[in-house]
Amino acid sequence: MEAATATTTLDVRGLRKEFPGVTALQGVDFDVRAGEVHCLLGPNGAGKSTLIKCVSGVVEPTDGEIFLGGEPLPVGDPAASLDRGVATIYQELDLVDELTVAQSVFLAHEPRRGPFLDLDRMAEETTALLERLGHAGIAPRAKIHSLRPAAQQVVSIARALSRDLRLLIMDEPSAILDDGEVETLFEVVRRLTADGVAVVYISHRLDEIRRIGDRVTVLSDGRTAATGLPASTPTDKLVELMVGRAVERLYPERPSGHEDVVLEVRGLRRLPEVRSASLELRAGEVVGLGGLVGSGRTELLRLIYGLDLPDEGEVYVDGERLPQGRPDRAIAAGLGFAPEDRKSQGLLLDWSLVKNVSLADLGRFQRGLLNVRAERSAAAEHLRSLKTVPDDPDRRVGDLSGGNQQKVVLARWLLRHCRVLLLDEPTRGVDVATKAELYRVITGLAKEGLAVLVVSSELEELAGICSRILVMRDGELVFEVEGSKASERELLRHAVAPRDSEDFVEEVR
Amino acid sequence: MTAVESETPAAAPEGTGAQRRFGGFALQEYALVIVVVLLFVVGAILKPDSFPTWDNVRNMLTQASVVGVLAMGMTFVIATSGIDLSVGSVLAAAGMFGGILVDPEGSTLVFVLGAVGFATLLGTVNAISISYGRVVPFIATLAMFSIARGIALLLNDKLPVSLLDLNGGSFGDPAVFSLLWFGTGRILGIPISVFVFLGITAGAWLLLNRTRYGRFVVAVGGNRQAAKIAGVPVRRTIFTVYVLMGVLVGIAAVLLCARLGSASPVSGNLYELDAIGAVVIGGTSLAGGRASIVGTFLGVLTFALIFSLMTQLDLSTEVQQVVKGAIVLGAVLLQRPEARL
Repeated sequence: MEAATATTTLDVRGLRKEFPGVTALQGVDFDVRAGEVHCLLGPNGAGKSTLIKCVSGVVEPTDGEIFLGGEPLPVGDPAASLDRGVATIYQELDLVDELTVAQSVFLAHEPRRGPFLDLDRMAEETTALLERLGHAGIAPRAKIHSLRPAAQQVVSIARALSRDLRLLIMDEPSAILDDGEVETLFEVVRRLTADGVAVVYISHRLDEIRRIGDRVTVLSDGRTAATGLPASTPTDKLVELMVGRAVERLYPERPSGHEDVVLEVRGLRRLPEVRSASLELRAGEVVGLGGLVGSGRTELLRLIYGLDLPDEGEVYVDGERLPQGRPDRAIAAGLGFAPEDRKSQGLLLDWSLVKNVSLADLGRFQRGLLNVRAERSAAAEHLRSLKTVPDDPDRRVGDLSGGNQQKVVLARWLLRHCRVLLLDEPTRGVDVATKAELYRVITGLAKEGLAVLVVSSELEELAGICSRILVMRDGELVFEVEGSKASERELLRHAVAPRDSEDFVEEVR
Repeated sequence: MTAVESETPAAAPEGTGAQRRFGGFALQEYALVIVVVLLFVVGAILKPDSFPTWDNVRNMLTQASVVGVLAMGMTFVIATSGIDLSVGSVLAAAGMFGGILVDPEGSTLVFVLGAVGFATLLGTVNAISISYGRVVPFIATLAMFSIARGIALLLNDKLPVSLLDLNGGSFGDPAVFSLLWFGTGRILGIPISVFVFLGITAGAWLLLNRTRYGRFVVAVGGNRQAAKIAGVPVRRTIFTVYVLMGVLVGIAAVLLCARLGSASPVSGNLYELDAIGAVVIGGTSLAGGRASIVGTFLGVLTFALIFSLMTQLDLSTEVQQVVKGAIVLGAVLLQRPEARL
């Protein structure tokens, strides 16, 4: 077979991949031209990850062909893909915290002079690469852990550039960024495409496609539902292609909340992240906590929950003061916490759904010995009520999609009859259809009388589901607005520093 | 929506059989049953006169019971992703402490309380330094490995203590509840120490699989952050695991002294390797988060059969040591896919 035109960098034809028991890809066609950003869309489980893993050589396809610059690409050989200029930036950054920027960029292909590392050249070339990406501000000798996630991502991209880069695959790069940082990332991507690099861009944020993409391919159930659509394709149309039907409404009716205050936070402080935070949470309301990544939102949740010790300040539940640094006591008082990183903090991936759900409330099943049958049926009931898929409570949690893993975490707190839910980025890495479902679950819980505090970097979603929204900036709560009156633009203006905020917003739009 | 996006496809082909379960029984446990049967058959073929005899089986089980009791405690320690290198030394120190505490014709009970109490005390020192002092288990228990051996040697000026006469014990026909009875006495032809081992195995199974505490232990080893967020008292769980290990070392010390009729300051040498080896062969993950009491039990039997067989084939203890280390290394290598970062 002959490869496509000369300007086509990547050409995938009839790609199939079967795993034991499941066909992840059932004949996918896909091409990316030099200098274009081709967005890849699809619900979780559609086969996006499998597709890019086939291209990067991590997974060997069962059938089909992959051409790179017109040449057939050896399959199932990551080194071959790398040598031919294919680089992948994963959502979870694969950088080593303790290395410097320069060491990270040249990891495993360090420039050498004789048997020794050529440190000067490494630093020089790193600076040059970062300049090329418009980030000369990142010091080559800075340690990775001292950088914000956005800067770490730039380092990852510089690493890809340090080899001869023809195709850059980005798997949900914006998931760990706030709105301002996303624009910075786009600037980097534009520089790359101007140099003729082909980019595959995966994201669940549909608005990004219009901002950065040239063409769109939609995957659904391992098939190409549509390929090569213009980036201007209406959102409704894309969503319909993804889920195979029209999503009736993304945001459900917003809950209003009762009078009685359940959670009260007074002057919490833990420097440097949280400078001062006071808030009240009433039964039946969903309160949004917006702000940029690094503004102290996650740290505030951790303080409320007792995972970290505050420098000062108190937390009250029903007027009773919580002891500091005791998550178990917070849970006993009715708090529940769904952390940002489900995989590393929320769940035991090797455990079954049942065991993950019951972990916070095992006491009620123990009369001498654990009544595992009662445990199983109680957990299964809550999993079912949240429509968790698969409907098998003995499955391993690690096998579930992100949205369903989130439901397992929620089921845990429902089982525990918790009354205050702290949710940190509950819809991160979740596709649109599942997002809509999670929104319904969250607002539904509030209507049943729970008080919910939601941290999110997607200001639009906060404006969509919350009764009230608080904005955090530099460790302080700086703005409060009723959900129905909130606009994304206003929230963003308060989330960034007041001085240059107007310019910044203009730049973002 | 099928959940096949990120992890499943890539992980599924790599996953080892150890994780796959059939009817609640892990594949590895089935494999071990086959190994145990095979070893027995091989022994029966190579030494048809001496190996497949009731005497030999009884002997094997009696000897295995000491390490077996240690391995049960070690399963809990390893399930929290910890390790205890001090069990052999603590065992010797516990026996010596009980030995010098009791008069030559004194009470078995005093000896037992002394030995178990002292082992528990040393286990508690491990527990404090690991859970509250935040010393990594490897280093904390390596230090205790040296400390306890030193104490064992100091307690009676490097000499063993005879315990033959506690509560009227004598070899051959020990009085009921004499110390020797625990080591050599039998009920229905089965040695008392084997009953103790089986009882502790059953108790350990219930504790691990049918109590909240057992769930906490595995949760702490599987994902400490997630466990903490779910309200698991992480430090207290880690603390109690090393105390429990201490108690079981004390019981193992009693069984060993009861069989030998004396306490020796050099006993228990390399028992930590036997115990850790049995646990690892049994499928408990050294990275924590997965533990199997049935597996450990079968691991203990596997070791016992291998060494009984090698002894009957007149292989020297030096050769046996090499084989033992190689088996443990092999078992850990087989676990690698889970331990990957």
